[in-house]
Amino acid sequence: MVTERRGRVKGVIASGIVSRISLVCIPPQTKVTGRFIVEETLLKIREVRKHFGGVYAVDGVNMDVKEGGICGLVGPNGSGKTTLFNTILGLHKPDQGAIYFNGNCINNLAPHQIYKLGLVNVFQLPRVFLQMGVLDNMLVAARGHQGDRLLNSLFWRKGWQEQERGMIEEALDLLELVELGKLAFSPAGELSGGQRKLLELARGLMAEPTLLLLDEPAAGINPVLGKSIFQRLQDFSRNGTTFFIVEHRLEILFEFASWVYVMDKGRTVTQGEPQQVMNDPAFYQAYLGEG
Amino acid sequence: MDPLLYIFDLIVYIGIFGIVALSLNLEFGFTGLANFGKVAFFLAGAYTYALLSQIGIPFYLCLIAGALVSAVFGLLVSLPALRLRADYLAIVVLTFGEILRLIVKSEDWIAGGDWGISVSRAISLVGASPRVNALVNIGLVYLCLLVCFLLVQLLTNSPYGRVIRAIREDEIAAEALGKNRAKYKAQIFMLGSAMAGVAGGLYAQYLQCILPGMFMPMVTFTVWIMVLLGGPANNKGVLVGAMLIEVFDRGANIAKDYLILPVDPSNLQYILFGALIILVLFYRPQGLLKESSVKTKALELARYERSAAKSKGS
Repeated sequence: MVTERRGRVKGVIASGIVSRISLVCIPPQTKVTGRFIVEETLLKIREVRKHFGGVYAVDGVNMDVKEGGICGLVGPNGSGKTTLFNTILGLHKPDQGAIYFNGNCINNLAPHQIYKLGLVNVFQLPRVFLQMGVLDNMLVAARGHQGDRLLNSLFWRKGWQEQERGMIEEALDLLELVELGKLAFSPAGELSGGQRKLLELARGLMAEPTLLLLDEPAAGINPVLGKSIFQRLQDFSRNGTTFFIVEHRLEILFEFASWVYVMDKGRTVTQGEPQQVMNDPAFYQAYLGEG
Repeated sequence: MDPLLYIFDLIVYIGIFGIVALSLNLEFGFTGLANFGKVAFFLAGAYTYALLSQIGIPFYLCLIAGALVSAVFGLLVSLPALRLRADYLAIVVLTFGEILRLIVKSEDWIAGGDWGISVSRAISLVGASPRVNALVNIGLVYLCLLVCFLLVQLLTNSPYGRVIRAIREDEIAAEALGKNRAKYKAQIFMLGSAMAGVAGGLYAQYLQCILPGMFMPMVTFTVWIMVLLGGPANNKGVLVGAMLIEVFDRGANIAKDYLILPVDPSNLQYILFGALIILVLFYRPQGLLKESSVKTKALELARYERSAAKSKGS
């Protein structure tokens, strides 16, 4: 299992090779029915509403995020994107509607239960564990760590220590990927704002998500690194991880996303492939307003 | 009084309160749970020990029972309280401590009410001098302290320790990473309460009596000062804190007999404790020893390999 995990990251690091192979391979979760390749819907959002006081932050949203690739979510500030993400994640309970992940209704699940299903989130404002080391931050996110349990941590030390060695190697590879490799043993509190964002992104990937929600991953990061991160995410997506990304850097998002939703005032105003969305007047209206 | 016996007495107190300080450090230092009702679990352990020892149960079983009863109390309090914000949690457990003390004070049938009851020594050697008896107590207390210290060291230097620190840092982020914060907090609360229960049992058998007046909220605050002074999230630090505070307490006790003060001398310790907390929080908020990082074998090995590769490269 450890080799498999490590292979996943190593594959992405040698992204050139992986990209070429992946282009001719069918992603593992794609179902083949007869002659047609059917994309499975991983995340279904149906008529979700969430209000705070008298204001509907999310007002009857319907979305489908298909397996594989990068799905974008854009919209002006205050359009309800982050509230929608927090509702998907279980931090807010929807007032109405339903959210399905991998066929399971996740409306009433706690965030830790949603994580176990494979849905992981990277917050808009980095929520890094500042008094812990960078590598410790990564290891907290490791999926299935036997040492996370009380009795194992005391009486089965040999077992989890063996497992942790593999996890550390994977964490170091992921940190290299976001250019934090040299800071692996530094306290997270010493990182700059941009580096904290990168650490949180790496931490999200460490959790081996089926679907990773990313809230503005390129904000506060230099443009070259921002683009390179999206390239890496695309490589990960070819290996089976799906990304649902809120981003204001539209030039980067539109280059990599396969589908984009546009939100305004809590509703979806348009959706489609990036080129399609860019030619849609509703998209400009959302950003520039009436007239 | 025999000066040597006074020193032995001090050593026993350091050991007993060292255990309570370790337990509060696990709760507050590592997990961020502001347990201002520590004395409640100390009391539960002491009363369980006293009541069971009266019916002739061996001392080690009484200590274990004290730990279990305190752990159950810890769980019961934690279930509603852990869903509250930190400041409300502090108020709830502080109140719980006082309720428990007032119950044993007013209900004579439990353990003699205000008058208390006498408790037999855990190990009493026939015909032994007080010094020998004190030495035996030192042995027993420090054996328990050693077990508790090893337990918290193992726990905090493991992935479990990493998770509880993550919960302390940002519980929403930890929950989003698959950690059931309510479960972890309840486990820590139970474990911390069990350790305080053991310390309570040792305290009862050492003093050979228990009274509700021995379990005033001041006990909780004294343990808090030990943790804050020694260094939250550093197990060795809080033991240093326990030692310094006990010595300081005795020192102030002796000094008040020789100093002419404008205040009631019996309040001197409390005034000095208050001043000490303010000084620590202003000038050394991380305590005397700063937080120790998580140390696991795999992590140390990776760190070693990194530094070896670095030195090879240069």
